[in-house]
Amino acid sequence: MLAVIETDELTKRYGSARGIEDVSLAVEPGEVFGFLGPNGAGKTTTIRTLLDLLHPTSGSARLFGLDSRRDSTAIRARLGNLPGDFAYDPRLTGRELLEFFGELRGTTDLGRAPELARRFEANLDRPLGKLSRGNRQKVGLIQAIFHDPELLILDEPTSGLDPLMQEEFLEVVAEERERGCTVFLSSHDLDEVERVCDRVGIIRNGRLIAVERMSDLTGRAFRHVALEFADRVDPAEFASITGVTEIDRVGNRITFRAQGELDAVVKTAARHKLVDIELTHPSLEEIFLTFYGHHDDGDR
Amino acid sequence: MTATAERQATPQRALEPPPPVRVLRALIRRGLRDRRKAPLTWGISIGALCAFEVAIWPSIENSIGKAVENYPKGLKEAFGIADLNTVEAYLEAEMFSLILPLAIAFFAVRCVADVLSAAEEQHHLDTLLSAPVPRRVLVTAAFGVSAVMVAAVLAVVGTLTWVVGGLVGAGVSAGALAGGLLAVWSLAILFAGLATAGAGFLHRSALVTAMAMGTAVAMYVIDLVGKLADGAEFLRWASAFKYYDSPLRDGVDLLACAGLLAVGLACAAVGAVLFERRDVL
Repeated sequence: MLAVIETDELTKRYGSARGIEDVSLAVEPGEVFGFLGPNGAGKTTTIRTLLDLLHPTSGSARLFGLDSRRDSTAIRARLGNLPGDFAYDPRLTGRELLEFFGELRGTTDLGRAPELARRFEANLDRPLGKLSRGNRQKVGLIQAIFHDPELLILDEPTSGLDPLMQEEFLEVVAEERERGCTVFLSSHDLDEVERVCDRVGIIRNGRLIAVERMSDLTGRAFRHVALEFADRVDPAEFASITGVTEIDRVGNRITFRAQGELDAVVKTAARHKLVDIELTHPSLEEIFLTFYGHHDDGDR
Repeated sequence: MTATAERQATPQRALEPPPPVRVLRALIRRGLRDRRKAPLTWGISIGALCAFEVAIWPSIENSIGKAVENYPKGLKEAFGIADLNTVEAYLEAEMFSLILPLAIAFFAVRCVADVLSAAEEQHHLDTLLSAPVPRRVLVTAAFGVSAVMVAAVLAVVGTLTWVVGGLVGAGVSAGALAGGLLAVWSLAILFAGLATAGAGFLHRSALVTAMAMGTAVAMYVIDLVGKLADGAEFLRWASAFKYYDSPLRDGVDLLACAGLLAVGLACAAVGAVLFERRDVL
């Protein structure tokens, strides 16, 4: 089946500065593809090149089988995009913005806008300039989705949204997938990507360093575990558990890193009087350091 | 059936881009709506200045000639104050020779720079160009909005000037005034075209404005120097102000206006091509 997004050694340089280098990936129809990377890794540059805002230095990109440069207008008719830093004329209300974008898309029908506005609790009657960042982001999301596009490109879509709205957003993304929409979701938040994405591409220093199924990535993901006991416990009891590394003890508190299932950890801890337990997911940076080598300070 | 279920039941269709003319119409309508106050703010401000000059004409018409009669002849000709014997000649010297054309040119340039470069700086184009908007259509819209808004501002200026002239008995000729405003419009379109060409390679609105208005001022100075120094008269060929000339006093040169418009359109076309080829940062 024809890939919805296909890039072939896509490269964008800004003069001598790095943008992205030889990015080759394919996003299949109906999948939610997470595009993960630290800030400045090249996620936005990739998206802006797909949208023909930036012209590739070399390589090519095809969306719906069409050339990203030559057929840009036809491509953009079929997608919805939420830019990373969504902004538009601050004098316009959300409703005016949606009506305008409806006209630009050749329709006077606001489609799903009322339903989405209700779900996101978005105020469409206030000028954008008077909305908080989160509320403006909601209007941006509605603008990206209201016309039922075949492809959704979302650059850091939940930044500024409160946790409840983040949940609602993830539900909407799941529904879009059910509808058959393909979603290209850029994020630096592993939790967010983990919850909705089928596959994930990881970009660092402008290079795509891995494309994995989400299940493979999370299967290899680890957690930081901190166990607070009522009495001193010998950390060696945990050291013998498969997947447990970096054990440390301070007073009655034992910390370590655990990979894979936690069943053995819980059973071992249960032999003692446990006061508190903390499980922390690793940051994206830690995952990069663990699986994809050293962090580059020159990252942008 | 819920809305979600209905959507799921709808087969995914390929969305087609609307015809470019329809997109152009939407962009121009939006651009005009965004600047709907400009004919009042700019038109009334500049129109009030023109009206003031016309209003004082009856009280100075007998003395203004004497006030400048001792000025050097070349200077009087250069600044268009040699024969201040009609209200049109006076208005030409006071407003139409420098202030009005430069102010209106600035307005025209800002209209273009706002839609293209300022929108780029504020990342509005990231959102706008996610929709099926061809870049050439966007550039055409920016230029079109500028042309319409300049005409609207000049209409207010002309109306105010003519009405006040009638009220004070200065009797400004409507035909001469319309011709003068047509020449100002043509000149402004040329600089709007230059701004469009600038936006084809410059990413900053201030730079686009500086380039277009710097050229306008340079052209005015070249024209002035050419008028003052016989040896430098050939330089005037490079200045749009030579073709603009003195439209209110001497009558509008329609051919010259057409020439200014043609150059403005050509610059805008170059801008559209350049804008399509460059990155939107």
